[in-house]
Amino acid sequence: MKITVVGITIAALLPAPVWAQGTANPYPSMAPVEQYRMDRAAEIALAKSAAPASISDSAEILVMGTAGYETAVKGKNGFVCAVGRSWANDFDNPDFWNPKARSPVCVNAAAARSFLPYYLTRTKWVLAGMTVVKMQAATQPVKPEAGAMVYMLSKEGYLGDNVKGPWHPHLMFVYPRTPDGAWGANAPGSPVEEYDGPSALVTLFLVRVSHWSDGSPDSAP
Amino acid sequence: MRRVLVALSVIPFAVIHAQGMAPVDQYRMDRAAEIALAKSAAPAAISEDADVLVMGAAGYETAVKGKNGFVCVVERGWATDYGNPDFWNPQVRSPFCYNALGARSVLADYLARTRQALSGMSEAKMEAAKPPLKLENGAMAYMLSKDGYLGGDVKGPWHPHVMVFMPHMSAASLGANVEHSPAVVNDSPTSRITVFVIPVARWSDGTADSAP
Repeated sequence: MKITVVGITIAALLPAPVWAQGTANPYPSMAPVEQYRMDRAAEIALAKSAAPASISDSAEILVMGTAGYETAVKGKNGFVCAVGRSWANDFDNPDFWNPKARSPVCVNAAAARSFLPYYLTRTKWVLAGMTVVKMQAATQPVKPEAGAMVYMLSKEGYLGDNVKGPWHPHLMFVYPRTPDGAWGANAPGSPVEEYDGPSALVTLFLVRVSHWSDGSPDSAP
Repeated sequence: MRRVLVALSVIPFAVIHAQGMAPVDQYRMDRAAEIALAKSAAPAAISEDADVLVMGAAGYETAVKGKNGFVCVVERGWATDYGNPDFWNPQVRSPFCYNALGARSVLADYLARTRQALSGMSEAKMEAAKPPLKLENGAMAYMLSKDGYLGGDVKGPWHPHVMVFMPHMSAASLGANVEHSPAVVNDSPTSRITVFVIPVARWSDGTADSAP
């Protein structure tokens, strides 16, 4: 799969700006906030579906409240599961304000400490009504800890309009900005894909796997 | 997927064995075959531009000079941890392509160990002399060859997989080795690093793994 440059994102699967094809961005600004909300029980279930139950049943679960994410379920294994919204994407991504985006993630403790906070902070800014320009200006560098990684194995997510669904089950490894080619990512035949962009703060390496979190196989691995 | 801890490099098994090294010729390969097997560890788009090493009389030598930072090599039984029953297994042929970060750290450790093995050092002395492994963040390797023989437990290439090398971390902290997790991790407290193994769908030639 040829990867075009995308921004940093927990969802991470949003290539090829529609703008580049001469079409107007369908999401030029934030939609009414209700469109980003979910039923609490449904959000918990979707968040947990990012990883196998053997992980997510003991994970902390976050749900989006009025001012930011809140702990809905206290965990005990260090993992944190949440449903990312569209502003997890890079600022210039056409899906940045897409109210349909729902990206279930379960991050390990290393990523919860060093990677997830950027997104949680951004969510507070969004819900406070901060503009994209101000968010860009206020964004601080992310310093991922060694071993920071993310499960994205839910088959119920909607990662963006380009894939119109959950894409493929995959793991993500979070690193400081890494030179292109360091992992052989995006090379023909490589199972590794790499995402970073002009305003990206980290490099994400995605490794596709063959099964969803419920154990069912990906239909097109 | 069956959760088998295969005899991957630096994955230990707490099994005692007393066998020594077989005659050294049993570990050697035809040079052209060794180059081809080493390159099969990664898709051609990567391995065609990689350094390729082959095992000489005293250690590995560069057979093909690359330009993308990757290094491909066929590892032998002593890539497994000390005490592994496959440590001296002359059938083991484990094709790897390491990225530059992995080559400088994880592969360097194996190359040093190979020089020790070929000089006739015993397993016990090798273990006593092992230097610290200075892992570089971002070290990884491809193991996508369907022609390898990773050890007596799997008797073949196991599944195509990507390996991510990390500082020592527990399997639980990575969500590995549990039901429906795609990750396999060695959780030995004696391991110097953690090898995060991710089975993937296809071999380096693009064919599908028959039992992912």
